[in-house]
Amino acid sequence: MNDHDLITAVRDSFTDVHSDTPVEQIVRRSRAVRARRQVPALTAAVAVVAAAGLAVTWLLPGHSATVQPGIHLTAWTVVKHADGTVYVRINQLRDPGGLQRKLRADGVPASVVFGNPMNVQLKPCQWYHGNVSGLLPKVVPSIAPGQPAILAIRPSALPAGAGVQIITMTNLSRIGVRLVSASQGCTGS
Amino acid sequence: MGSQRLDFAEFYRGARDECLRTVLVSVGDSDAAQELVDEAFARACASWRKVSRHPAPAAWVVRTALNVNISRWRRRRREVAVPDLGTVADLSTAHEAADSPVDPRIMAALLRLPARQRQVVALRLFLDLDTGRTAEVLGVAPSTVKAHLARALTALRDDLVPTQEQERSS
Repeated sequence: MNDHDLITAVRDSFTDVHSDTPVEQIVRRSRAVRARRQVPALTAAVAVVAAAGLAVTWLLPGHSATVQPGIHLTAWTVVKHADGTVYVRINQLRDPGGLQRKLRADGVPASVVFGNPMNVQLKPCQWYHGNVSGLLPKVVPSIAPGQPAILAIRPSALPAGAGVQIITMTNLSRIGVRLVSASQGCTGS
Repeated sequence: MGSQRLDFAEFYRGARDECLRTVLVSVGDSDAAQELVDEAFARACASWRKVSRHPAPAAWVVRTALNVNISRWRRRRREVAVPDLGTVADLSTAHEAADSPVDPRIMAALLRLPARQRQVVALRLFLDLDTGRTAEVLGVAPSTVKAHLARALTALRDDLVPTQEQERSS
């Protein structure tokens, strides 16, 4: 078998591989890409304003704020985009219950754990045992650990009976996300 | 803006299968390849004004898909350090083989190649890139591309030819 025959054999074996994603879906997804790009820009803009000593509060839906002399800082921010993608920005490891409630209100069956999971009650949550191959990147297409940590969650990609658990330990440089079985005790439904 | 969208749609319909095949050979997992290619095309659409001027937009899409794959792998590697999250990384190739539309012997032979050789084969065979463009996409010298392709074809021949000859004689 010469090179040409070999190349033809390999090439021909892939003729049944087709992408069936409609272009409309790609265009919709590109809007989410643009929105993701805007999040760091927004972060930088807020940093500039805060450095100027102004009182800053996030004028975005769903945030947890603490009051310090002259400045409001948000522990986390949740923004739901028109395509259903939910963007979470975590600045500080505070108020996991509030974040959990906000995510559930925005349609994400979620459990949120801040702190060492060994010291936190994880028993109500069980691993999701359905077909998980390639599922996590579809449900959570973007995780960016750091200060702040930013996640994108696509609840429409979750199969029935599955939920998302966010676990962050002592700092935001490590953020874990896993798929769990949805239940009253774990994800609220 | 409308004509830009039409341009992108035309490019997408013409290039999506080749890009998917190229990324599938590189990552070995059809679900992951589809997800990576969709993400890369979405990024291309979001930056279409820039990408449309690229000398090989399909190569840009494949390079982006492979970069996204590397980023996700690195992210998962970080997640592994968190207790109880070790199985978050769920990309596996073994149980995908049964669902793949590709001849399993050829897919297995490709997956046995080192990653770089596989990428060279994918870019040369499915995107039809020449040596120079392949070298640019992978960030290596053209001579390295030639060497990888020669080794890959030798390995594939060793792997596949005995099987095919056996079939012919039986």
